[in-house]
Amino acid sequence: MFKVPEHQVAGHQASDGKLGPLVDDLGRFYKPLQSDGRGSKELAFYETFSSDTRVPDHIRRFFPVFYGSQLLEASNGSGKCLHLVLQDIVSGRINPSIMDVKIGSRTWYPGASDQYIKKCFEKDGKTTTVSLGFRISGFQLYEGEESGFWKPGRNDVQSFTVDDVRSVLRRFVSSSSSIGNEKPDCSFAPSIYGGSAGILEQLLELKAWFEDQTIYHFHSCSLLILFDKESVRKGSTPAVEIKLIDFAHVLEGKGVIDHNFLGGLCSLIKFVSDSKESSITANVESEKPHDCTSNGNCITITSRTLVRPIDLTAKEAVFINGFPCKKPVR
Amino acid sequence: MLKVPKHQVAGHEAIGGNLGPLIDDSGRFYKPLQDGERGTKELAFYHSLSSDTRLPDRIRRFFPSFYGSQLLEASDGSGLRPHLVLQDLASNHLDPSILDVKMGSRTWYPEASDDYIQRCLDKDRTTTTVSLGFRISGLQIYGNKESGFWKPSRKDVRNFTVDNVRLVLRKFVSSNSPFDSNVTPDCCFAHSVYAGPAGILQQLLELKAWFEDQTIYHFSSSSLLILFDKESVWEGRTPFAEVKLIDFAHVEEGNGVIDHNFLGGLCSFIKFISEILTDLNESTTEARFAEPDKKCLCNAP
Repeated sequence: MFKVPEHQVAGHQASDGKLGPLVDDLGRFYKPLQSDGRGSKELAFYETFSSDTRVPDHIRRFFPVFYGSQLLEASNGSGKCLHLVLQDIVSGRINPSIMDVKIGSRTWYPGASDQYIKKCFEKDGKTTTVSLGFRISGFQLYEGEESGFWKPGRNDVQSFTVDDVRSVLRRFVSSSSSIGNEKPDCSFAPSIYGGSAGILEQLLELKAWFEDQTIYHFHSCSLLILFDKESVRKGSTPAVEIKLIDFAHVLEGKGVIDHNFLGGLCSLIKFVSDSKESSITANVESEKPHDCTSNGNCITITSRTLVRPIDLTAKEAVFINGFPCKKPVR
Repeated sequence: MLKVPKHQVAGHEAIGGNLGPLIDDSGRFYKPLQDGERGTKELAFYHSLSSDTRLPDRIRRFFPSFYGSQLLEASDGSGLRPHLVLQDLASNHLDPSILDVKMGSRTWYPEASDDYIQRCLDKDRTTTTVSLGFRISGLQIYGNKESGFWKPSRKDVRNFTVDNVRLVLRKFVSSNSPFDSNVTPDCCFAHSVYAGPAGILQQLLELKAWFEDQTIYHFSSSSLLILFDKESVWEGRTPFAEVKLIDFAHVEEGNGVIDHNFLGGLCSFIKFISEILTDLNESTTEARFAEPDKKCLCNAP
């Protein structure tokens, strides 16, 4: 039984009769091959990668498991279409918080068409891609039974400033009680970002590989950061995970490291690391209107840039183009 | 007595009546303030750097010493003009081999004009900047007393491919004649210059560690100057190889973000240098098995 994924934060979505991925009950994710060659490029990557002996096992775990390809009825009713069969990364998690971060200070690559380069270049300049070396493509943050998921629309996410990104990264690991405040407490930062199995440690492992590997250049790929508060609270493993996804534009490294990805990765690591540090200062300075940073930069969350948490739980809502709408009553 | 520098490999040169830097006999380098904002920005940067307490001393040594500014007769005869007074980095080397490597997969920065960005982008795409994350801006490699320096033209350097860059980084530390394009570089000096606790690689790694953390400055279009001279190596004088950061006309504030552009390029450069050493280790091991009694003759002048 195929259905629309409940927890997709970026990319084409199979809602509202569009072409998008599907999931089943067995932990598999079916991604339709995208048009104009990108789909076959992604399939080729997964096929090469899954048999590439040069990739060490401890790095392989950062990639979704690949099960091959399968002909399926497309979600937009256009008939049978080839789908990539991948591991459904979020399956088994209850109310997962997920962030999709596109890594690299440029999403275009030499050899792409002028038109594509121009499109990417403009988007890179308008988002935090050029300034930060990464941008948030989408996210959902579970804020509790009452508030449900905070999931801003694509347009809002795309206009995030550097300060917004910093703030989201802090809010991502803050307690529900600091919702609505302008000072997220980052109280979960030590357990989600920190620790020997935390996000930071995994990012550092990936960084070490990128400082050395010259096999692949991952253009326009995303890092999916995911966790669920239940797993974190229970201490089940893996409580927090990072996964590399979206391989429609992977090129050969040809003896050169993926310096574009690496630069952006290091920038993300710095931001996550600063959030982790700020959780200590946040708890100490609760009286002053503190700004949750360790380097004195002020953060203000303006209502213009962030959409307020939706007042629907995940069960009640349907996400259409990223905007939460109440499900129609039958 | 001011004169034209003998060992300038990139940037505007004061020859042929052009505006360019001058040096004196006491180890100082006088860089005329460039037109428009660039000159004042570079001066402001050096002032800021010299009083910035956030910079650890072990990182400060990568920057040229700054002695202020001075009004001097410009080299193009245009009259008195302010000059930056800096340390002449080549002055304590005799016949130095020098590499000027412009760091970063983009040389433009978001605050620049559209025109500037387009010009930089075109250059970045036609050089190794986009592909490698760095490009060689200029170089000179000392051969010997008879042959002197191999110093390819700016145009040739700009057309370097990724493979050319790989080759040049090996030629840089070889004893073969740099003029000979057919011979495989012997990488004789690689261990002395690139490796070791005072070698280039160690210095680059120190810079890398700082760039992974510092959010004070973003160095657009800055260069790493790599210098070494063969005499120092032969005479066992340390340090023989130096890494310096230069050209600060386009430095912007970091604003809490690391200079990921510079860092990416730096890591790419580090990988290229490391590979030379790794390749050497592998071939030395093979050679030792093949000819265990053969010695390296490189240490002879």
